[in-house]
Amino acid sequence: MEDGVTATQVVFWILAVVMLVSAIGVVTAGNIVYAALFFIAALAGVAGIYLILTVEFIALVQLLVYGSAVVILILFALMLTRARERPQALFGRSRPLGIAAALGLLAMLIGAIVATTWSTPETSAAIQPVGLQAIGDAIFTIWIVPFIIVGVLLSIALDGAIMLASPDEDDN
Amino acid sequence: MPALEHILVVNAILFAIGAMGVLTRRNAVLILLSVELMLNAVSLNMVAFAVYGQVDFGNITGIVFAFFIIVIAAAEVALALGIVVRTFRNRATANVDEVNLLKW
Repeated sequence: MEDGVTATQVVFWILAVVMLVSAIGVVTAGNIVYAALFFIAALAGVAGIYLILTVEFIALVQLLVYGSAVVILILFALMLTRARERPQALFGRSRPLGIAAALGLLAMLIGAIVATTWSTPETSAAIQPVGLQAIGDAIFTIWIVPFIIVGVLLSIALDGAIMLASPDEDDN
Repeated sequence: MPALEHILVVNAILFAIGAMGVLTRRNAVLILLSVELMLNAVSLNMVAFAVYGQVDFGNITGIVFAFFIIVIAAAEVALALGIVVRTFRNRATANVDEVNLLKW
């Protein structure tokens, strides 16, 4: 395990720092469009960590679904819901309380992680790369019923979103 | 490979940052962005457990979990943005503290 700092670990920490700084940018940026751009950087960092964990499939899905589709939806919603009349305060009154609560949550999580002994494999060679075929086998044999249900759920949710966003006949 | 603890700590920090965004932002779309950050932290955790635990447990269910989380998140974003757009049309605001119609 302790075979010095490997290149993978260096890349992991670079990606982690980029991801966390971008995430802080998402929640503190003063301009909502900047927040959305920071969000793209944070998603790219998460996709990079998926690559380090040898799951290329999830990294690809992450970039395709989050990095493009979700971000485009969010940018459209930001542009559609911009109130032009007056400058908007971006943070609520309870901001110090929220920051304190988040820090408390972080302390609890890190305390739990440190207090637990994890059974890390002895060498990094013990960790097998997860192949695309193994993921496909798992999804389409063991998890086929949840897969179908989630597909139906997705189409119902998208239909519902269209219903919600489309104007009523008696609106005007 | 980075140690499992390091990945978990990074994900915990990402989750806490997302929680901070949910608790401090006013704009509904920005709150949604923060929720997405939290979801990302959780699915990254799932993948880390699956990859590091497959020797011990012999399956990769965590990766399937992460896949399903991404699908659910896409559905959730579409629905929530539909609600935000509808709210903006009715109340001319996307700030959650100004939408208090159901508040007693």
